[in-house]
Amino acid sequence: MSADVVTLEGVRKAYRLADQAFWALKGVSFSVRRGEMLALMGPSGSGKTTLMNILGLLDSPTEGRYLLAGEDVSGLSEFDRAVVRNETIGFVFQAFHLLPRLTSLENVETPLTYGGYGRRARRARALEMLERVGLADKADSVPATLSGGQRQRVAVARALATNPALLLADEPTGNLDTRTGNEILALFHELNAEGATIVVVTHEAEIAAQTSRTIRVRDGLLEADERHAPAAGARPPDRVGEVRKHEPRA
Amino acid sequence: MNPARSARSVEGTARQQRRRRGSLDALEIVVIAWRSIRSNVLRSALTTLGVVIGVATVVALTAAGSGVNASVTERITSLGSNLLTISGGGGDRSSRVRGAPRDTITLGDAEAIRALDDPRIAGIAPQVQTSLSVKYGTNTSYAQVVGTWADFEKVRNASVAQGSFFTTADDTSARRVAVLGHQVAQDLFGSSERAVGQSILINNLGFDVLGVLPDKGDSGFFNPNSQILVPLETFVRRLHRSSPTGDPTLNSVYVQGANAKDLAALQDDLTTLLANRHGIPDPASYDFEIRNQADQLATLNSVTGTLTLFLGSIAGISLLVGGIGIMNIMLVSVTERTREIGVRKALGAKPRDILAQFLLEATMLSVGGGILGIAAGVGLGRVAGHALSVAPRVMPQSILIAFGFAAAVGIFFGFYPAQRAARLDPVESLRYE
Ligand SMILES: Nc1ncnc2c1ncn2[C@@H]1O[C@H](COP(=O)(O)OP(=O)(O)OP(=O)(O)O)[C@@H](O)[C@H]1O
Ligand SMILES: [Mg+2]
Repeated sequence: MSADVVTLEGVRKAYRLADQAFWALKGVSFSVRRGEMLALMGPSGSGKTTLMNILGLLDSPTEGRYLLAGEDVSGLSEFDRAVVRNETIGFVFQAFHLLPRLTSLENVETPLTYGGYGRRARRARALEMLERVGLADKADSVPATLSGGQRQRVAVARALATNPALLLADEPTGNLDTRTGNEILALFHELNAEGATIVVVTHEAEIAAQTSRTIRVRDGLLEADERHAPAAGARPPDRVGEVRKHEPRA
Repeated sequence: MNPARSARSVEGTARQQRRRRGSLDALEIVVIAWRSIRSNVLRSALTTLGVVIGVATVVALTAAGSGVNASVTERITSLGSNLLTISGGGGDRSSRVRGAPRDTITLGDAEAIRALDDPRIAGIAPQVQTSLSVKYGTNTSYAQVVGTWADFEKVRNASVAQGSFFTTADDTSARRVAVLGHQVAQDLFGSSERAVGQSILINNLGFDVLGVLPDKGDSGFFNPNSQILVPLETFVRRLHRSSPTGDPTLNSVYVQGANAKDLAALQDDLTTLLANRHGIPDPASYDFEIRNQADQLATLNSVTGTLTLFLGSIAGISLLVGGIGIMNIMLVSVTERTREIGVRKALGAKPRDILAQFLLEATMLSVGGGILGIAAGVGLGRVAGHALSVAPRVMPQSILIAFGFAAAVGIFFGFYPAQRAARLDPVESLRYE
């Protein structure tokens, strides 16, 4: 089987406006290899979120082909798309999108619940993931009592709960200050070092520089696709471990 | 090896596996729905109020209705069962409108019925009555004095509480003996025990008290407690009443059937007998009427049944209004939780999971309302029963119907909002502010 987690071929996306179609994506083709960490950059309105929604099966392309983990997912039913989202995709949103009435633990359990995991397995896995992001002691806290950085780490734990093949993060640090943003990014690097495939949308060149590949989008088209060595600013795994030791701050 | 085919078969198995794996435990949906109900207790409570009121009214009204029915039925059958009541009046409607039932039934008629010696007849109690003064010492009272046969005791379910009933021999010899109603004994003697063996004056004639009837309750228009029973022969000879022909007229004759199933046939035979005796071949101009207790009960049941149904449907309408209230709140709730729905879908919730969540929430609200309503209805039924002085009878079937109706209302009115939630576009819902 191919080592590509994602393959897009000529993907176009039209939004139907009042009388005509607006093409948010005008023919995008690229592949993401297993274990890659990729930054998606581009000016506001260039189509990054649209692209992420298609990658995450929240939306379907108007034209073109999308292979996810080797399977053509273009013609899947709503039911199957939900199952694929559950098992293969993990989302991290700019606005965290935690379920406000549920505790951290329950938030992390939610994708496992929809995946049909048993109660015990769910709880164990969710606790493991909270530990992984350094928030085991916040398991019973509801989102409103957590800081922004903590919320985003719960969201990361939730995204990773079903051990998805692809982690999608749309401006995950957009609502965080630089310091907590860096902590989230450090977590991503760590997960990537453990083998996770990550696509992260960002406006910050500094963040993009820490990844091994940057794709630039402009007006619904790929402008550039650069592979590069992670810049010096990238945190090596040992520094990440150090950061985690100081966490969590109550 | 054909790569296209192998890819397809891999895809096929993947899809089959998905279908198997993608099932969410029903219990989990219950938990999710319950949490969101609990998260807004006041609103949930107010939402269910319509259903609570609807179900409570259904249960209370049917309980009170069947309580009334049971109490009237009991009162009717407590005055004798399998009864045919023969009275004057009958088919000639115009004459009934003008006045009271005519005294067309005579002692001769009653004796003719007795002469049939029909095995289907368990007892015959002719009855003639008038209101007379009664005295014991200085205590004076008025009572309904009833002349009848000894069979009265059995036919009209009038076993004495104290002393004994008079016998056929008492009747034949026209002895001046009496059995007092509960209230009469109270008025004259202060207690039933003291009355037996005493002598009282009825219309200034001395009568020996043989027995006292138990408290039979007051049915409103007729109070069996304030009557005095004396042998018919004594009544006719001593306490006036005679007809132009010399055959004493009666108010009514009660005929008790040996069993319920022969009652209608017996009724027909007695009708023929009396028609012949009175020389009236045309049923339209009969001067008597034979009423069947079963018919009376059937009429009563149909009246109270109609009433209960009517009140029940009014309550059903309030249940419907309660359902609309649930739908309203569920629609608001779906809109409010658009973002939550989007997040759940992003995490892998299938449309049917979302549908089930909201449908279950609506159903739990209405079923919860149903349970509260049943409790409130039982309480209300007690209050209503107390006001009507009947024992309310909470009918298991009315509870089941109200409960089922409430659940159906929740499912019916919850479906549209739930379907709307299930069909929300995940991208749009996530963008929803
Ligand atoms: N539902 C929609 N209906 C119509 N047009 C839309 C819709 N969603 C997005 N668009 C348009 O598509 C284009 C791309 O939007 P998208 O959200 O993908 O941009 P983006 O690159 O994520 O921008 P930003 O950096 O500001 O998040 C924009 O011009 C936007 O107005
Ligand atoms: Mg965007």
